[in-house]
Amino acid sequence: MRDEYRFTGLPLADIRPGTSVLVSGPTHDGARSLSMQMLAGGYDEGAIIVTTNKRASRMAEDCQRFGIDVRDDRTAILDCVGDDDPDVPARVLPVSGPSDLTGIGMRFSDVYREFKTTDIDRVRTGLCSVSTLLSFGDLRTVSRFTHTLVGRIDKVDGLGVFVVDPSGHDEQAINTLAQFCSGRIEVRDRDGRTELRTRGLADQPREWTPFDAFP
Amino acid sequence: MILCVDQSEADREATRAALDSTYEVETTASLSDARSVLTERPVECLVTEYDLPDGTGLELIRAARNDAPDAACILFTDTPLDDIDTAAFGDVVAEYLSKDDPDAREELAELVEHALLFRNQTAYPLPDDEDARVAALERYATDPESLGDSIDRLTELAVALFDLDAAAVGLVDAHEQRFLSCFGISFDPIDREETVCTYALLEEGVTVIEDTSDDPRFEDNEGLQSADIRFYASAPVTTPEGHAIGTFCVYDDEPRSLSERDRELLSLLADEVMEQLTLRRRLRERGGGNDA
Repeated sequence: MRDEYRFTGLPLADIRPGTSVLVSGPTHDGARSLSMQMLAGGYDEGAIIVTTNKRASRMAEDCQRFGIDVRDDRTAILDCVGDDDPDVPARVLPVSGPSDLTGIGMRFSDVYREFKTTDIDRVRTGLCSVSTLLSFGDLRTVSRFTHTLVGRIDKVDGLGVFVVDPSGHDEQAINTLAQFCSGRIEVRDRDGRTELRTRGLADQPREWTPFDAFP
Repeated sequence: MILCVDQSEADREATRAALDSTYEVETTASLSDARSVLTERPVECLVTEYDLPDGTGLELIRAARNDAPDAACILFTDTPLDDIDTAAFGDVVAEYLSKDDPDAREELAELVEHALLFRNQTAYPLPDDEDARVAALERYATDPESLGDSIDRLTELAVALFDLDAAAVGLVDAHEQRFLSCFGISFDPIDREETVCTYALLEEGVTVIEDTSDDPRFEDNEGLQSADIRFYASAPVTTPEGHAIGTFCVYDDEPRSLSERDRELLSLLADEVMEQLTLRRRLRERGGGNDA
């Protein structure tokens, strides 16, 4: 039995390896913060983060701000934006753009395998964000990509966090993508307080529960 | 069947050897030969090198997405990822596994096993009970001829009852929807990623899509457009064990709604189809196992 993924400082119970969740909410109201905090694991864990709309250097800064120990032997940023900054402390892997879902998926498989050869076999994967992929690709392609990546994360006992901002997308599109994941975490802002609630995940808060978006 | 494509005979045979104790394996050396196999036979999984004598593995995977949309596609190659231009193939989606590693073929076998078990390269979500559902379907749908006109009468009644253009009863198997009856419309088998019923199967009870052109899942669906379908509603055909194996669908060329009462009636029609399938199955079993 593999150890479950733990979340420090968040009102979330441990999550079983192989699980992927869709985190949905307005980006500025904490969905991104929650996702980044969920990607911060122990010193023996790796992180693979797909950035679709933020430069790799900014993404690395965000990672550090939210508690991810960014090191180039255990943190990979799959960069769909294009960033020539050579000083990013993470391993930055180029992808031609957010419509290159094939490139993202293959980079993921390859870097995961590389991590594994250095004995990092617990990996948290973040996709920030699915919204960009939906803006650049059709729902069917994004669906196949999501299904494939969720399957891969399941196979390697990883943790997947897929961030989506539902505004600007049809609810049916979001629901369809949620169906590929094990569960969904919704995020909202209520009078300056960020709250989350979960669906489809065992032993997690189902009612709106506050969390700290700026730890 | 698993199709392995590699121009190196030694590599091809090593890949075959890693897989053929468990699966039926076909091999080819070129893109064109692989394409012939794809058009002629059902391929569940495609394992291809990147460099092929007459093209690339990504070109082949793009073709496979057309001929076998649900197939798991794996680029199994000694070409490093940095040397592969995925930009022009961003929409094909495939797994990547480097062939260089000494354990590569063990890893490949694991990847293939997982991909076939969970079918996670489909472009649509699968019901939680997918395996049991498909197994149930096979038990009930062995002999559609025996249904005679019974289902045709129901689709004709549905069109009159709801004052719509067309109705159909289709069973959704692992990869396709096949129709037991169509009235006012005619359908060949439809790939699962192309049919609305794929999504309806995931919902409880009756599904109503008031305007298919206003739903991101179907707005670009050419099959619906060429059949002039704008309105869709269906009730699941559900076995006594609770597995949805098909749908009773009604269609119209204008967006519209469906009243609560009509939803109940549509469910009754679907239940009647299940009753017919159940009775035929019982008859077959009583008949001394001729079909077994």
